[in-house]
Amino acid sequence: MNLVQLFLAVVMFGSLFSVLTLSLNLQYARGGMINFGTVAYFAAGAYAYAIVTQEPPSGLDQYLVGLHGPWWAGFLAAGVAAMAFAVLTGWPTLRLRGEYLALTTFAFAEMLHSLLVNERRIGNGTVGLANVERPDPGSLGLPDAWTYAGAAFVLMLATALVFRHLLASPYGRAIDAVRDDEGAAEAIGKDIARLRFEVFVISAVPIGFAGALYAMITTLVSPDLFTAEVTFFVWIALVLGGERTILGAVLGTMALVGFQELVRAIPFESVRAAEIAAAGEDIVTGVLFILILRWQPFEAMMKRRRAA
Amino acid sequence: MTLLAQYALTGVVTGCFLILATIGFSLTRQVEGFLNIAHAEMLGVSAFITWGLNAVAGWPFIPSAAVAVVATAFLGLAIGRVVYDPMRRHGPAVLLITSVGVAYVMAGMMHAIIGTGIRSLNIPLATSYRAFGLRLTDYQMIVVALAAITGVSLALFMNRTRTGLAIRAMSANPELAASRGIDVRQTSRATWLIASGLAGLAGVVLALIATLSTDIAFNQILQILAVAILAGLGSLYSVIAAGLIVGIAMDLSVYWIPAGYRPLIAFMVVILALLVRPQGLSGKARS
Repeated sequence: MNLVQLFLAVVMFGSLFSVLTLSLNLQYARGGMINFGTVAYFAAGAYAYAIVTQEPPSGLDQYLVGLHGPWWAGFLAAGVAAMAFAVLTGWPTLRLRGEYLALTTFAFAEMLHSLLVNERRIGNGTVGLANVERPDPGSLGLPDAWTYAGAAFVLMLATALVFRHLLASPYGRAIDAVRDDEGAAEAIGKDIARLRFEVFVISAVPIGFAGALYAMITTLVSPDLFTAEVTFFVWIALVLGGERTILGAVLGTMALVGFQELVRAIPFESVRAAEIAAAGEDIVTGVLFILILRWQPFEAMMKRRRAA
Repeated sequence: MTLLAQYALTGVVTGCFLILATIGFSLTRQVEGFLNIAHAEMLGVSAFITWGLNAVAGWPFIPSAAVAVVATAFLGLAIGRVVYDPMRRHGPAVLLITSVGVAYVMAGMMHAIIGTGIRSLNIPLATSYRAFGLRLTDYQMIVVALAAITGVSLALFMNRTRTGLAIRAMSANPELAASRGIDVRQTSRATWLIASGLAGLAGVVLALIATLSTDIAFNQILQILAVAILAGLGSLYSVIAAGLIVGIAMDLSVYWIPAGYRPLIAFMVVILALLVRPQGLSGKARS
């Protein structure tokens, strides 16, 4: 793998996962909600995109619905699917607090995963849907990888801008108020349950879009791609980047993706060596994670800046 | 009908395993105040120490298991003191996320040392016993017996000994416990030892009744979480009830729907329960 490819991969997946980190940032750092089921909204988006765009089933296919729609219809459907899933999961769980919310969102994500594995009529079960349709940038004379990296980057920018706008508004201050002191917010007439629910649902939409783009890039959706590891990955990225800032969330994700791509770029002689490298990657990620949470260098930096 | 009863019986065994796996998790939650996602990895560590001593080094099963339980208990204590203790001031949410990092490190180490593939212990094959048309293997009986012994001895420990009472006091109200002269640090260490030792015991049981692979731990955390939420992160007795409910519900469901949905059933029970009683079975007024 040469440097250009590495750069492209980092921009492409880094931007894509940054969308997830940004949404999580909105839910956790601003809304005070611990969502441990991020992957579910991502998967909902990817599957919605695949189902809307793929051809009707044929041969060995076990899925029931393939609408063979255009890519933009799939993309929109992805946002709607993620939103619908957020409504479905948010409605019963958001009255739960802190760790209960973390556990139930985690549970919902596992339920969706289990459904995708077992219910072959959705997307061929464990086999997944291969050859997902995608717009071909080649017809416009554009190189594939660059276009999709660009698309991911644009999606990330759009998400960041929308969220920033939202949080700078009076609405954003109401959200902060609910997080900091529910009682006080309620006393001045803010509908807490409603605000939390809205933040939860709004932040799920970009995750769905990212899911659709992910399906386009990999041209494959299968339950294996959407495990709890994605959720943990995004959490680690959020912590790496220091909480509560948009730039931090993006940089943290980029750093983590870059680190992973670097490890993957090393050529290995044997399967065992690759296995050890993958394990080493997990160990280093975990240790970094613990160290950052332990000393919180980013918080300290912010404080120093504020003091100066 | 016999088949249904058989599934229910298997469900009791599953439930007993879940009880063993969840008690330690729930104890950590009560005393240390956070959800330790890495608890499931402790089961894996213990299962693989047992496997390493038994199948690789050729030890008999019982000493291997004993060493595994003790080693896991002290590993848990070490992690608790080195990683979690200095971070307590950051609050339960940060500790919960930290434990994900710990789980990553432990899983990575197990992958690096042991590698992928399926392993089994060097023990005789299970013998089936039949009564009233129901089957039960000797290993399954051991699981039930271990869960029963653990439940009773833990209940005695918590109600009769100084350390046990100190743990209960700490979980009910840490500040009050400290002001009444309970040694908070020592109690916290005792908790880590007991909770991790219980994870070790559950790991040994896992090695006994399941085929071992390095991702085994992660599959357990889901069910542990299910039982813990259902129990309302509460007392020992509610964990026992919740473990049995989840175990029986999962295995009974196989009678009507494909076995692949077992984990889903665990969470269906939990979500239904949360809708009716948002604070879990133990029904504490405050979460």
